[in-house]
Amino acid sequence: MSEKTVLVKAKQQGRSQLTELEAKEWLREAGIPVVETKLARTKGQAMALSQQLGFPAALKISSPDVVHKSDAGGVKLNLKSQRQVGEAYHQIMTSVHQKHPDARIEGVTVQPMARPGVEVIIGMSKDPQFGPVLMFGLGGVWVELLKDVSFRIVPIVSRDAREMIRELKGFPLLEGYRGSEPAHLPTLESLLLQVSRFVAENPEIKELDVNPIIAYRDGAVAVDARIILEG
Amino acid sequence: MVDLDRVFNPRTVAVVGDKKGQGFFWLKSLKTFQGKVYSVQIDPKEIPEIEALGFPNYTSLLEIPDEIDFVICSAPRGAATKVVQDCIRKRVGGVTLFTSGFAETNTEEGRKAQEQLTQMARAAGLKLIGPNCMGIYNPRNGLRFNVDQFYGEPGRVGFISQSGTHLGHTSTVGPMQGVKLAKGVSFGNGIVLDSVDYLEYFAQDTGIDVIGMYVEGPKDGRRFFQVLREVTPRKPVVLWKGGETADGTRAALSHTGNLVQSLPVWQAMVRQCGAIPVKNLDEMLDTLKGLVHLKPVFGPRVGIIALSGGQSVVVSDAYARAGLKVPPLSPASYTELSAFVNIIGGSYQNPFDVNWATPLPNLRHILEVLDRDENVDNIAMEIGGPYLSRRWDAHPEFINELFALLVDFRQHSAKPFLVMLTPAHYEGIAMAAREKFNEVGLPHYANFDRAAQALRRILDYYRFRREVAG
Repeated sequence: MSEKTVLVKAKQQGRSQLTELEAKEWLREAGIPVVETKLARTKGQAMALSQQLGFPAALKISSPDVVHKSDAGGVKLNLKSQRQVGEAYHQIMTSVHQKHPDARIEGVTVQPMARPGVEVIIGMSKDPQFGPVLMFGLGGVWVELLKDVSFRIVPIVSRDAREMIRELKGFPLLEGYRGSEPAHLPTLESLLLQVSRFVAENPEIKELDVNPIIAYRDGAVAVDARIILEG
Repeated sequence: MVDLDRVFNPRTVAVVGDKKGQGFFWLKSLKTFQGKVYSVQIDPKEIPEIEALGFPNYTSLLEIPDEIDFVICSAPRGAATKVVQDCIRKRVGGVTLFTSGFAETNTEEGRKAQEQLTQMARAAGLKLIGPNCMGIYNPRNGLRFNVDQFYGEPGRVGFISQSGTHLGHTSTVGPMQGVKLAKGVSFGNGIVLDSVDYLEYFAQDTGIDVIGMYVEGPKDGRRFFQVLREVTPRKPVVLWKGGETADGTRAALSHTGNLVQSLPVWQAMVRQCGAIPVKNLDEMLDTLKGLVHLKPVFGPRVGIIALSGGQSVVVSDAYARAGLKVPPLSPASYTELSAFVNIIGGSYQNPFDVNWATPLPNLRHILEVLDRDENVDNIAMEIGGPYLSRRWDAHPEFINELFALLVDFRQHSAKPFLVMLTPAHYEGIAMAAREKFNEVGLPHYANFDRAAQALRRILDYYRFRREVAG
C-alpha cells in the first residue's frame, strides 16, 4: 500500500484517522522498523497468519470506526496457539459488534508479540506557534503520570536526538536496570531522526503517535502506531 | 532582513507630541543626539517651553523643511493614525510609536486600532517600531529615550526588548556592572517589526558580538525558531522570557498582548537553538558580562582563590551546585606551592585559601601556578571588601598595584578569569573597586552563586558552539 493510496483511501472514506495497518505500512515504507502486522478477514485467515507470524500472537480489531480498541473489547494479547487465536477472533467480533453495531469492520490485525524490552514513545503534534513538535518519553507512568517527556521542534538534527533522550529523568532506565537489558541508544536516536524527516516530508500529518516502541540491546521495533491527517 | 540602518543612525529626528505633562522627557533625552532634532506639537500652550528648550517646533511633520530619518510619536492613540500617515507621506526611515492603547488593552477597540495601523504601515512599507514602546537606543550618536542612559563610546552588546523598562535598566544598570550596549531597541507590541526582525539585524551588525533579549511572545514562532537557530552558532543570544508562568503570562497579555502558548515547547526551543535562558536582570547582566569579558570557556574545572577557610567551603558548594568542578591541583603545583606558602593559617587544596595579609608577589605566584595547572580550566578569585579596605588603609597605593597585577595576569593567561567581589560593609570601597574593574574589563560578580551560575551558562554555550561548528 503506497502512501498515496493510504491518503486517497482515507479521504474517500471521509476519515482523518488512519487504521493501525495503514499507519504501520506508511511508517515501514519510511524505513521505521515496525512489527510485522497482517490483516485477517476471517477466523481461518487469523489462525493461519498467527501460525505464520509466530506465537504468542496479538489480535486487534481493524475498523476505521473503532478508535478505542481496548475499550471495545477489540484487543486480545498473548495468544499461544491457533486454537486460542480462533477463540479470540470470535470474542473480538462479538464484543465489537455489540459495542459498535454500525462500525465498518475490515477484520482483525494479527501480529507476533514483541519480546519484553524498554518501552518508549515517539510522538508528533503541531504547536500553533512553532509548528510540528517531536516528543519522546518512556512508556507507561513515565509519560502518563509523571509527564517525563522531552520536546524538539521539527526538523531535528543528531544533537537534538541525543539530547532529547538524555534529558529524561527516567533516562537511567534506558541504560539497563535490575537485570533488564539496556536500549540501543544509537537506534533510538536514529528513529527520532527518521520520524522527524517523515513528518517534515508529509505535512498532511496532523498528529502521530508511535506507542509503544520496544527497545532492545540491539535494536527497536514499533508495536503500534496512530496517524491523524489534517482536514 | 529589514534594513534598520537609517533608524539607528538618523541624521534627523522629529519628536511628535512631547509635552510638559511628561516632563518633555523625549526632547530632553535627545539633547545628547549628534544630529538635528525637530519638535512637532500643535498645542500652543506647549510650544513656548519647547522652543525655550532649544528645539524648533512645527505644527505638522510635513512642514519641517528637511528630510526626516526617524520619528518618535508621543501622541495619543486618536492622533496616531494621522501621525503615521504623515510619516508615510514624508517618507521617513522609521517611526517609534510610544503611543499605547492597542491590543494590550484586550478591548475590541484597541485590537481594531492595532489592526488598522498594521495594515496601513505594511501597505506603505513603513518601518513601524512598537506601538507601546520606547524605541531606539544608540549610545554612539546619543539617540536615547531616557536622560540616565549613557552616551559615548559604545560597548559590544545588542539588546532587544519587548519592554522599555528592561532596556532602560540594562542600559543604565548595565554599565555599573561592566556591560555597555552597542545598540538597543524596545519594540513593545511588535505589530510590524517584531523581535525576530531586530535579531536578524543585530546578527549582521559588526559592532555587536553578544545579543541579549527580553521577549514575551514571538508573532511568528516558526520564523523566530529558524532565525535564532541560525544566529546562535555565530553570536551568543541570552534570552529572558517574560511570562514563564501562568500568572506571568496573564500579565504579559495586558503588557504587549503577546505570549507563548506552550511553555514546555518554548523551553525546548531555547535549548534546541543553543540560546542561553536567564530569568531576571541580574542573570542577564552576569551572563552578558562574562560573554563579553571572559576568554572562551573550554571546561568545567575551576581554580579558586578564596579569602578564608569558611569562604573556601561555601564557594566550593556554589560551583558544585552549578554543575562545575573544584578539583585538587596537580602534584607539580603542590610541590611548587609548598616551597613558598605557609600552610598554617591557610590552605592550598583548591580553593586556595589566602588571607588578607598575603603579599602581592605571593598572590601573583599563586595565580601563575593556577594558570599552569593542567587540572584547572578557569580561575576565580574572591576579593572581599574587608581585604580591600584594610590593605587600602595600611597601604594607599595598594589598590593600583593589585589592579596592575590582575590586568597583567589576565593579559598573559589564556584561561577565563573572573573576580567575585564579596560583601563589603564599606559600600563606597566596593563601588570604587567595581569602577576600576569595569575600566579594565575584568568581569566581577556580586556573590559566589551568581559567578558560578554565570560561568556554567557560558560554558554550556561554548560547548554548544563547538559542537555545532563541528
